[in-house]
Amino acid sequence: MVKHSKGAVLRSPAMHGGALAILVTVEAVAIGLLGLLVAGLLRSHAEVLRALHDLGAGLGEAHDHGPTPAMAQPQREAATDAVDLVGTTPAEDPLAVAVTNTRHSTLLAFLSSGCLTCAGFWEAFRDPGGLGLPDGVRLVAVTRGADEESVSQLRRLAPTEVPVVLSSAAWDDYRVPGSPYFVLVDGPSGRVTGEGSAAAWPQVVSLLRNALEDATAHGQGPMKRRSLPARWSTDAEREARADGELMAAGIVPGDHRLYPSAVEEPAER
Amino acid sequence: MARLRGHGLALDLGPGWEGQISRRSPGRGETTHPVLHAATFALPPTRGDFGSGAVETMQPEDILVTLLEHHPDATGTPLFSASGPPFPLRPDSFSPTSLQRMLPGQSGMQAFFTWRGRALCLYVVLGSHFLRARLVRRVNDVLSTLAVDPPPVTP
Repeated sequence: MVKHSKGAVLRSPAMHGGALAILVTVEAVAIGLLGLLVAGLLRSHAEVLRALHDLGAGLGEAHDHGPTPAMAQPQREAATDAVDLVGTTPAEDPLAVAVTNTRHSTLLAFLSSGCLTCAGFWEAFRDPGGLGLPDGVRLVAVTRGADEESVSQLRRLAPTEVPVVLSSAAWDDYRVPGSPYFVLVDGPSGRVTGEGSAAAWPQVVSLLRNALEDATAHGQGPMKRRSLPARWSTDAEREARADGELMAAGIVPGDHRLYPSAVEEPAER
Repeated sequence: MARLRGHGLALDLGPGWEGQISRRSPGRGETTHPVLHAATFALPPTRGDFGSGAVETMQPEDILVTLLEHHPDATGTPLFSASGPPFPLRPDSFSPTSLQRMLPGQSGMQAFFTWRGRALCLYVVLGSHFLRARLVRRVNDVLSTLAVDPPPVTP
């Protein structure tokens, strides 16, 4: 060791080489440990994704359906009978929704609280007026039952103007493969007339319209429904005209002349 | 046939009927009681206890049945002195002037009664007063399946 006048200490070349070797060794060990850590994290991440997928809350992919075949042709070989919905609301009140023996058709949106793709649909359903649903089609969201869903999350997600039914039985009845999934039920015939998955709401509407037009072209159930709005429109015009004429004559809502005390019963057939 | 059951009430819903039995979350110092709605048309999720928001969408052949429970203290009061349910209903029970919200063509009835220790109000709206004879039969069919449990015993 050589001592300089100001007391500084210079290490010999042999000592300098030994320190460098220790430093390199420590660095190599640290890199090795970090590598193990990253590998562990990646494995853990894969296990989490696999578990989420098994729970039906994967990264929004339509399970077993390939790339977003929105409102594809029915998986069933022929149109099958639909089933009315019985379940609960997100507030866990008992609820029954009729989809058969109705004048309207019903678009059942099978969603879950956890799937990422479903989040876009929950958001869209908050503004039913902006959904652009064809006339005579009622939208109903269906999730699995309270024992298989996050009820607290559903209460946050549930739109106020679209019915939400929690019913695992409905998922089984309609053989829903995963979420999101859509089933179109023709009310008058009580038959499933279209179904499929979609990644975004505009796809659903576009293909829903196509399904209705196809059904109309083939003379199937929805044709009846599609004729209804025109009749309703005519009724509305007639009602508005009658209201106008009555008001012009000084007869306003609540006028006793609108409610005669005796009305003849219609003849029994 | 769908069986609607909850909050001590139960009702069988035939083809084309839907319904809900709800009970609002009480605020501080409040008590709330069950409300049953059954209808032959699409019930909007947001509606009043007496069907406001729903009756406006009714067509002439539609029916809305509402059963509202009142506070237990109401049992035995003159308003609820009738013992047992008022059904089967008769066509002449209905009047356009009995509606909570008078809408052209519609008809309604309201009855207060005590049944199995519970103070209840039945309110029914028909889409058409003219068709009441036929519609009342459907109302009676569904009301004949109504079951009411006695109130829970409080310690």
